[in-house]
Amino acid sequence: MIDKILQSIEQIPAFPTTILKAGEMLKDDDYSVDALTDVIKFDQAIAANVLKMSNSAYLAPRHRISTIREAVLYLGQKNLLKVVQTAGVSRYFAKIGRGYVTTANELWEHSVAVALMSQILARKILQREDETLYLAALLHDVGKMVMGEFVNDSYEQIMDLVAKRSHSFLEAEEAVIGINHATLGGMIAVRWNYPEAIKNALTFHHRPDLAGEDDVTTWLVYLADQVCLLAGFTGGMDGLAHRGVNDVMKKFDFHEKDLEMGMMQLVADLQHARELVHII
Amino acid sequence: MGDIVIGIADLKCSNNKDDVLITYALGSCIAVAIYDPAVKVAGLLHYMLPDSSLDAAKGKGSPGMFADTGIPLLFKSCYSLGADKKRIIVKVAGGASILDNTNYFRIGEKNIMALRQIFWRNKVFIDKEDTGGNSNRTVRLDVADGKVTVKSSSGITKEL
Repeated sequence: MIDKILQSIEQIPAFPTTILKAGEMLKDDDYSVDALTDVIKFDQAIAANVLKMSNSAYLAPRHRISTIREAVLYLGQKNLLKVVQTAGVSRYFAKIGRGYVTTANELWEHSVAVALMSQILARKILQREDETLYLAALLHDVGKMVMGEFVNDSYEQIMDLVAKRSHSFLEAEEAVIGINHATLGGMIAVRWNYPEAIKNALTFHHRPDLAGEDDVTTWLVYLADQVCLLAGFTGGMDGLAHRGVNDVMKKFDFHEKDLEMGMMQLVADLQHARELVHII
Repeated sequence: MGDIVIGIADLKCSNNKDDVLITYALGSCIAVAIYDPAVKVAGLLHYMLPDSSLDAAKGKGSPGMFADTGIPLLFKSCYSLGADKKRIIVKVAGGASILDNTNYFRIGEKNIMALRQIFWRNKVFIDKEDTGGNSNRTVRLDVADGKVTVKSSSGITKEL
């Protein structure tokens, strides 16, 4: 089964060059509006999604945006990078087959929720937003798009281990299929030439304790994911069958009340970010 | 009519026997389903947090978010459709947790505790419940007969 899964990774299309190019340009504070506009317009599907998302209340543009050039002008470097990344990543979630979720939109909504939550936590803990964290959070469950079919076929065995042998869902995936969706996500990140930070966050998003003390991105993706699962913005049939890693609160000097406030903010942010959820 | 969906931090009531009140994907959140069989009035609340002292303004603006503001409003809304406290049947579901419950964020448990305290203080009896555990739940409440079904993310559907 493992061989088949590894083969499916090889078949995942390369990450859209438009996004990679736009992402590279946006890292430079001195990016050219014209050049960036041309790059985004080159991929019509991405351009259409960029326009849809640009007018969401979450990004709160002061002007109604109706062209890509306006989006580039008015959205600002950081929000534009998020929008472009979201547009690029979404196409992989649109095609998700059977498995963890009944509709593709369910896993995408979870992914957007974790991305928004990661920024709520970053503002509180790091006193800033963080684009690498945003992308890692958005992609954290991308392994599920390959694993879905295999999980679906072994569903009963997996649920049996979870229900009767107190496995976490991740441990059951490993026991039955031979690999878990997080490790697989890390492999997809490598195929897409993503930096080490993204790969690690995907690989260890359920076990940040294995990523190392200093890997703040991974710890924050973990915490954002858990909060979203609890709030009911679910990643599918794995439900809440994931292990709590208690150190996370001490690490960030965080209290339950902070998480409750975060949950409240998440509901508000998601209402303002409907355009992000509905691009697929 | 048909399916009336109750989102997170929201509540709705109905006395239209063609309606089904439904709320999806409860994690640590709780669904409170109430029903008066004599007048066929049903109400469903999906709250997320135990106590509005966290943010009083939010409790006013979005009372369905908290147990202490949402539960009284749910009952009042059903009273306005003719329901009577003495006849109301109460069923609850949700309040799930992640595994290893020594854990740092016991929001599911706190939600369950808040509910019990409120009902105990107001002498309301919980007829049936499906709480705790570690799966997501979807709850349906049929206005015609008050039937409540709970579907869990692990695939099992049961009647409460």
